[in-house]
Amino acid sequence: MTTHLTLRKIFRKLIDNPKAFSSVIGTIFMVLVALVLSASVFLWTLSQNTEYFQAVKEKNQLEVDRLNERLTAENVTYTGSRGVISVEVDVRNECPLFVNLTTLWVFDVNIGNYGVNDTLNICLKPGEKLSLRGFKAIKIKINGSDPSHIFNSWFITSRGNAVPLKENIIVAQVAEGIGSIAMDIKQFKYYIVPNVNDGTDIGTPYYSFTIDGTKYTLLCITLINLDPSHQPINLTKDSYVWAVTPFAETLKSDIWPIRKVIDNKLAKFDFQILEYGKPTQVYFGPTQASRSRGNVVPLFILLFGKIGNADYGQNIPFIAIRVT
Amino acid sequence: MQLKKKLSIVWKKRNAVSVAISNVILASAVITISFVVLFWAQSKSSAYNQQYSEAMNSDIAKLKERLVFEYVSYNKGNLTVYLLNCGTIDNITIKTVYVYFSNNGTLVKVFSSPSLKYFNGAPIADQDLDKGEEGCFTLSSFSLITGASYSVRVVTGRGSTFDYTFNP
Repeated sequence: MTTHLTLRKIFRKLIDNPKAFSSVIGTIFMVLVALVLSASVFLWTLSQNTEYFQAVKEKNQLEVDRLNERLTAENVTYTGSRGVISVEVDVRNECPLFVNLTTLWVFDVNIGNYGVNDTLNICLKPGEKLSLRGFKAIKIKINGSDPSHIFNSWFITSRGNAVPLKENIIVAQVAEGIGSIAMDIKQFKYYIVPNVNDGTDIGTPYYSFTIDGTKYTLLCITLINLDPSHQPINLTKDSYVWAVTPFAETLKSDIWPIRKVIDNKLAKFDFQILEYGKPTQVYFGPTQASRSRGNVVPLFILLFGKIGNADYGQNIPFIAIRVT
Repeated sequence: MQLKKKLSIVWKKRNAVSVAISNVILASAVITISFVVLFWAQSKSSAYNQQYSEAMNSDIAKLKERLVFEYVSYNKGNLTVYLLNCGTIDNITIKTVYVYFSNNGTLVKVFSSPSLKYFNGAPIADQDLDKGEEGCFTLSSFSLITGASYSVRVVTGRGSTFDYTFNP
């Protein structure tokens, strides 16, 4: 009650005293301006921020969907004729989202050429399995390619994921069987080089299991990482090819240490990454296999490196060569 | 009635007229200036809003952009980069492309506004990638070392960057 009376007194004073009237109007306007401006700026900023956060939310949802996209493409076979490759594969959508396959890429490792089919538009429902075989096989033109070559191929989904096509892997061949690294014996080749120096051109390869023990030979072995964890394998300088002469009274052996070849020239070895599912040519040497001359000797491919942070070691003992 | 009395008093007591007039003038001046300040501040704030809105829209558009590298191929001095727009916005243009060593970041070459083509080699008329559209560009006349590791950085017209590492 007292407060109300005091306010009335103040108001009356203000009305009675016209000297302060302009100040009052000024103050009211000032407050009005401040209120209108701050409210409009605040509301505008708020609406803009809402729009931005909506965009961030949509982006995050897209990223989550992209990360959740799980698709397997297995049992791939390459048929067809020279220049036109038919890719037959079984595809299974293993995620709770619709997946749209837009493009198939096929890379011919032997000739270094590639082909693409970007008119697939294959939609897979969650859990759906699709067998692209027979007339459903995907045809791709690659100049100079042949179905007997080695291929790397991958699908591209509309969300931007790449799905590698895997060949039928027999468990006995890898992982629990003999190890995470598989070797393609058909691709074994070697080069004869004049010296061991960095920068030496390695020339053209010889596809043969007979080598000249008086010359420097650089072995080239195609390895494929098929580790079930899909992690890359990093081979270190402790990887070798070791040849041991049988029936010798004393141990006679030759060693080809792992080497790097860059731009068809010998280079200093630092490390060699084997990406999952990708055939990689790994070089060893050059070495003169003088101790093995006159014999057929087994080659032990001793591989040592890391999978993730863990050590990894494997011996692949399947190649034999005649050293003349 | 009270106001009328007051006015008649003011009129009769002439010595107070100048005070009343000055007060009226002062009040009207204050009102005028206040309105001027209000409109000025409003125009300033709307300019700020406009600027903020442009910046925000540009950020949102950038956020919606997403380019995926489908494949990068190097053959006889020509580097071909295959892209897919898997974002949620149309009209992604390629402004600049940088090629550099991925281990130490040393720049190999910079290319401006490369010509976009479809995968079959036909040129893309509007020179941009819409949602779900695939396209490629070829960077020519430069040599890369086989086996070394390189990175390609694509900068879009809206300022987003996308990187990809490859071994020629």
